[in-house]
Amino acid sequence: MTFNQRVSVRIPKSFILAVIIPFLVLTGCGKKETRKSSKIIGVTLLTRAHLFYKDLEEGLLSAAARNNYELIITAAEFDLGRQSGQIEDFVARRVDAIIVCPADSRGVGPAIAKANQAKIPVFTADIASQEGEVVCHVASDNIAGGRQAGEYLARTLKGKGNIAIIDQPTLTSVLDRVQGFKDAVALYPDMRIVADVNGEGVRDKAMQVASDILQAHPELNGIFGINDDSALGALDAVQQFKRSGISIVGYDATPPAVDAILKNTALKADVVQYPRRIGETTIQKIREYFSGVPPQKVVPVEVGIVDRDSLSRTQTR
Amino acid sequence: MVSSVVGVDFMTSRKNILSRILSQYGISLALLIEIILFSRLSPFFFTTENILNVTLQISITAIIAAGMTFVILTAGIDLSVGALVALSGVLATSVLKLPIPLIYSFPLFLATGILVGVFSGWLSAFFITRFNVTPFIVTLALMSIWRGGAYLYTGGRPVWGLPHAFSMLGGGRVAGIPLPTLIMLAVYAAAYIVLQYTRFGRHVYAVGGNQEAARLAGINTKRVLRQVYILCGVLSALSGMLLASRMNSGQPNAGLMYELDVIAAVVVGGASLFGGRGSIVGTFVGAMLIGVSRNGLNLLNVNSYIQQIIVGLVILVAVMLDQMRKR
Repeated sequence: MTFNQRVSVRIPKSFILAVIIPFLVLTGCGKKETRKSSKIIGVTLLTRAHLFYKDLEEGLLSAAARNNYELIITAAEFDLGRQSGQIEDFVARRVDAIIVCPADSRGVGPAIAKANQAKIPVFTADIASQEGEVVCHVASDNIAGGRQAGEYLARTLKGKGNIAIIDQPTLTSVLDRVQGFKDAVALYPDMRIVADVNGEGVRDKAMQVASDILQAHPELNGIFGINDDSALGALDAVQQFKRSGISIVGYDATPPAVDAILKNTALKADVVQYPRRIGETTIQKIREYFSGVPPQKVVPVEVGIVDRDSLSRTQTR
Repeated sequence: MVSSVVGVDFMTSRKNILSRILSQYGISLALLIEIILFSRLSPFFFTTENILNVTLQISITAIIAAGMTFVILTAGIDLSVGALVALSGVLATSVLKLPIPLIYSFPLFLATGILVGVFSGWLSAFFITRFNVTPFIVTLALMSIWRGGAYLYTGGRPVWGLPHAFSMLGGGRVAGIPLPTLIMLAVYAAAYIVLQYTRFGRHVYAVGGNQEAARLAGINTKRVLRQVYILCGVLSALSGMLLASRMNSGQPNAGLMYELDVIAAVVVGGASLFGGRGSIVGTFVGAMLIGVSRNGLNLLNVNSYIQQIIVGLVILVAVMLDQMRKR
């Protein structure tokens, strides 16, 4: 195990074990030709407690294994101070690249600047940093997600009808979703967006504004909720006022939303993000960078859409 | 309602006809103007269904505002109400997850929610009366603690998958009127009677007017304070339970910033933050004014950024009218 000895000079043994064992498992250490890991990449995730980040981490690990990169994975657990410390450790350790999922888009700036000074390339995944120099940012394509929601509604409503958006226009990711949604709907001349209201992204407020919209538009056919709390709040309102003939599309496919879709409520479909793909793409961009091809500043990752059919198919499997 | 003693002296001058009208009707007039305006602008505004919708919308904050009126009458404030909506909502709904029939779990649900409200109110009053910390700081701290507690308890995820029948509490109707609306009306009727016709009601005004004088007059001011904070806590918890039922889930992020809507309703309703002045009817009109503004602007599909500005202006104008009334 020449590979093991090479690194053990620098890092405590327990840490190597923690990082390398899954790595070895994934690369298949049974293979005869045990290559040296070509690059060491420091990773600081937002958290390891959420399913989303678990999937993202898996994506990072599998892609790193394919490229024979070694990952040192840490997590901020929403603590910016902790994350800054982790980045500083990576700099001190002189890793070859750093992947950050910022705990705070602004606050992480000074730590990234330290990596910049040490000439270590920094990549961000899922959440962007507003400060410091980042080679490349990889995140879900929110515009495409909104577009898919719009196309789904257009298909369900056969290209015509009145549509409302339960919005949260203070977040850039949401502005993108709504932009994509509006772009898709604009292709159908018989579909009209009759309302665009702020549900503040939480279920109680979304329910309130959706109730108002239902009053203002007796002929409403579709609702787009920019996240699942917005979509579920709209569903609460639709159920309370016993309105039929309304299709709702949500975003994120959280368990309560999936449950509502499966129960054949007015919530018909949900846009899903693929965190695993975000992880894989990030490693891929690092590889491009190392091979001398500067990647794009922002790399959008494709999203998908699920409805009752696709969900029940995967559930029975 | 507060008697309008001031303003009567100026009846001689013609210019003061306006202030006389204002002295009689104050913000009720503003509400009326708003209702007429929206009725003209939207055909969907003045319909039975939408009026019921508005009362359903405001029921959650209006019920809290009734409790807040008592607190503000004593020159206090309770900033923890929004967080309490979330905490009582998630704690009470998690009782419904127990594997027992709803007939048994529902009373437990009510008891849990109300207990949370009583405890929070008692705790506020304890710090306020025992350690002489200002209500603003005590309840600001509790706001943070309850909100954090709600997130911690649920791990940031909603409590969901509740029995479907549970949604009847917030979603049911009696004689076509939503249940939360009826509960709100009952709360206001009770609060009106308590404040106008009971000794406790008079003590609340007395403590707010001059706490020291009230104490010297033999009123147990600490007990009055304890009672008003517990009342406000219980009504917040009641709102939290109604809201949870309307969403058929306990949301740890429910009730964000409700405290501001609630305080605005009370102050727009003519109450003084320095205590001793305010009325239950005024608070109800204040809550209606804010609720009607939101509803009307949504019906007209006004951009949400502009909505925030307009609601702020409505509050300013209403309070200004009230000040003119007092002059």
